[in-house]
Amino acid sequence: MKSWHRGIKPWLIKYFALPSDVILELPRITIIGQIHVYIENHQGLATYTDSELKLKTNKGYIQITGSSFVLKMMLPKEILLEGTIKDIQFLPDSH
Amino acid sequence: MKHIQGAYLKGYVTVLVKGNMPELFFQKCNGKGIAVWNVKKMAADACEGNIKLKDIKYMKALRRKTNYKLKFLHKKGSPFVLSNLLRNKQLVTGFLLSMMLIIFLSNIIWEVKITGVPKDIEEKISKQLNEYGIHSGSWIFSLDSPSDIQQKLVYDIPELLWVGVDQKGTTYNLEGVEKTIVKKEKVKGPQNLVATKKGVIKKMYVIKGLPMVQINDYVEPGDILVSGVIDESLKSDNKDTAQDDKHLDYVAAEGDITATTWYEVAVTVPMHTNKETLTGNREKKYDIRIGKVRLPVWGFGTPEYAAIHRETDENPIRFIKWELPIRIVSTTLSEKMYNKEERTKREAIIAGMEQAKQELQLELGPDAVILSEKVLHETSEHGKVKLNLYMSVEENIIQSQPIESSTKEHKNQGD
Repeated sequence: MKSWHRGIKPWLIKYFALPSDVILELPRITIIGQIHVYIENHQGLATYTDSELKLKTNKGYIQITGSSFVLKMMLPKEILLEGTIKDIQFLPDSH
Repeated sequence: MKHIQGAYLKGYVTVLVKGNMPELFFQKCNGKGIAVWNVKKMAADACEGNIKLKDIKYMKALRRKTNYKLKFLHKKGSPFVLSNLLRNKQLVTGFLLSMMLIIFLSNIIWEVKITGVPKDIEEKISKQLNEYGIHSGSWIFSLDSPSDIQQKLVYDIPELLWVGVDQKGTTYNLEGVEKTIVKKEKVKGPQNLVATKKGVIKKMYVIKGLPMVQINDYVEPGDILVSGVIDESLKSDNKDTAQDDKHLDYVAAEGDITATTWYEVAVTVPMHTNKETLTGNREKKYDIRIGKVRLPVWGFGTPEYAAIHRETDENPIRFIKWELPIRIVSTTLSEKMYNKEERTKREAIIAGMEQAKQELQLELGPDAVILSEKVLHETSEHGKVKLNLYMSVEENIIQSQPIESSTKEHKNQGD
C-alpha cells in the first residue's frame, strides 16, 4: 500500500501538475531577499535563538542562520522569520 | 498574516516565557492553535512573543503542566484602551454629562415657526401656543400631538381656516391659512324666489320683486313665491299701449318668507340606560417605558376608585434626530361611575321628544323655531319605546332661482 503510494505521487506531480510540496509533504520555503524567510509545512520548531532557527521536516531539519532573528509570525505549520539571513541548510536526519 | 489581523481591535498581550528552551513552549502553543507573533529570543532562557487576549486562558492551561514561567509585559489594543478610559472617572462623568445634555437639548423645542399668516394673526397664534405651553424651551414630550394642537388652534382662533402643525425634530413648523371673509356674492341676474318645502306662509317681507303668494297660502316645493318678472304694463296708467307691446322688466327678487312646515319623526327610546360619568376625581401617573418594561416615576399605587377610566399618552425621548426606545408614558386615572337608570314610559316619551327636537333643530339650523310637537303613535316593546312624532316648525323656505334667458323668451311668447 505504501509503496503504491510512493509510486503514484511523482506520477501525479508530473502529469497533473499538482504542487509538489502538497503531495510529497515537503516544506515550502519562500525567501525575500535577505530579510524574510517564510516556511510552510514544517513539522515543528527544534531550536530558535537570535542567530539560528532549526525546523523539523519529515526528512530531517532545515537550519537557517544569520543575525537579529525575530519570528514575525508563528502558526501551526507556518513560520515567518525576519532578520538578516546568511545561510539555509538542509540537514539529513541524524539517526 | 490574516490570523493576526484585527489583533489590536480585540486586544493582545506580550508574554515573556522563562525556562529551559522557551521557544518550545511557543511551539506547544502553536500545536494548540494559538497564533504567536513577534517572537524574540531575549536570552538563552527567556523568550517573548505576542498572543491574542482570548488565547491567554489556553496558554495558562498549557503552562500548568510545564516548568515555564509566564510574565505578561505589555497589554495593547482597544479593550485595554477602553478600560483605561473607563478608569478615568472625570472622562466618564464628562461623557455621561454631555450625553445627558444632548438628550436634554434634543427634547426641548428650539423654535416655533409660523408661516403663511399676517403679523397680527401670527401674534395671536404664538400667544395661544404659549397658553398651551408650546414655546421655545419647553419639553417636547409634555406636549400634545400635532393633530391635537392643530384642532385646538383652529377652534381657539376663529380667524384661522386651517393650520398645519408639523414637528421636525426640535422645531415646530406652523403653517396657517387665514379665513378670508368672502362677501356674499350678489346675484346680478334676474331671479325668482321659490319654495323649498311645503308649508303655510306665515310671514312675508319682500324687498324686491312681485309677491305671488299671500300669508296663510299653502305652497309646494318649487312654487314661485316672489317673481322677478314685473309686467310694467300693469303698473302703467295707459292700458292701451300696454296691450300693444307688453314691456316686461326683470329684477332680482329678494325677501324673507317664513312658513310653517311640518315633519314626521320616528325615534326609539330605551327604558333602561347605562351611563358612565366621571366624578371629577383624578390622578396622574408617569412611567418610563423601555421596550415592554415600565418603570413608574411619579404616582405609585392605584387610587381607591370604584371604577377607573384610563387615558394614556406616550411620548418618545429623542436623541438628536432619532427617537430612543425610551418613552415617557403619562396616564390619567379618572374615577367613573356607572349609572343605571330605569325610566317609566312617560319619562321615556319625554326624553324621546326632547331628543327628536334636538335632532331636528340640528338638521334645520339655528334659525328654525320648533313650534309644537305631538305624539302620533307610540308602541313599547323589548324595553324600548317607539314614537312617531309630528312637529311643526317655523322656518325660512325661500331659495333663489335665476331666470334664464330662454325662459324669458318663452315667457314673452307665452304672454
